[in-house]
Amino acid sequence: MARRLSKIPHGVAFPSDQKFLAAVDRYVEQELKKAGFGKDVIADVAISVSEFVNNAILHGNRQDESKLVRLELYHAPGQVTICVEDEGEGFEPDKVASPLEGENLLKEVGRGIFIAKMLVDSVEFSRGEKGGTRVKLFKKLPV
Amino acid sequence: MKFSVREQDGVTILAPKGKIMGGPDSTELQEKLRDLIKGNTKRVIIDLAEVDWMNSTGLGIMIAGLTTMRTAAGELKLSRVTDKIQSLLVITKLVTVFESYDSVDEAIKSFTK
Ligand SMILES: Nc1ncnc2c1ncn2[C@@H]1O[C@H](COP(=O)(O)OP(=O)(O)OP(=O)(O)O)[C@@H](O)[C@H]1O
Ligand SMILES: [Mg+2]
Repeated sequence: MARRLSKIPHGVAFPSDQKFLAAVDRYVEQELKKAGFGKDVIADVAISVSEFVNNAILHGNRQDESKLVRLELYHAPGQVTICVEDEGEGFEPDKVASPLEGENLLKEVGRGIFIAKMLVDSVEFSRGEKGGTRVKLFKKLPV
Repeated sequence: MKFSVREQDGVTILAPKGKIMGGPDSTELQEKLRDLIKGNTKRVIIDLAEVDWMNSTGLGIMIAGLTTMRTAAGELKLSRVTDKIQSLLVITKLVTVFESYDSVDEAIKSFTK
């Protein structure tokens, strides 16, 4: 079974299939561990990354395996920045409904971005070169 | 993530282990819950003691289980929710939706009260 991630500068790239999620998570957690992050912070970042990777695979690239998801990871002492980019058509993050309001509370979906934002220090959406979604998340070590 | 299923005092206990992040193993867990409900199981506990963390996929699976169970006049409860998952339940306000217990035994007893 092909679950290998391709190395790219500062990160990995992989086809749009959720079977790669576990390998991506291993990569991210391993890098953060090497960078000296504690278990709790690693979990927060890993959860957040998993949300954006899922969205890139499912909503951005619509599970089209010919489209890649790219993940880049940069760390400096006490901080990490991770970018997740897909080859989809982009979307308007400001128009995503709050998962806390009314009937949304009991919906099965719609909380990924909300959760991710709560767990890291900042999340920025932009468009990639080909119009896909590029998410940049930033986390500082708690002092 | 892997999960085990067992029965005790007429209650089905589903115990996932690892991370619930989406992908094939999450689909299996979701299907297991669906099968239980279809098979007329009315009392289910999801025991979270061995779950390292979950993301919105895991929360979605638990909500789907809860709502379909309630529609079928059954109930789904949680036991041994870890700190990481508890904080997710708090920020998503799902803590108001799920009944949870500190031990599997307490969760089982709550069904017969
Ligand atoms: N990379 C993306 N490309 C296109 N649309 C996206 C992308 N990421 C998110 N979206 C849109 O934003 C919506 C909200 O995303 P969010 O992750 O919060 O919830 P969800 O993916 O629908 O459900 P879940 O709770 O399982 O994450 C999605 O339903 C989708 O319409
Ligand atoms: Mg999502």
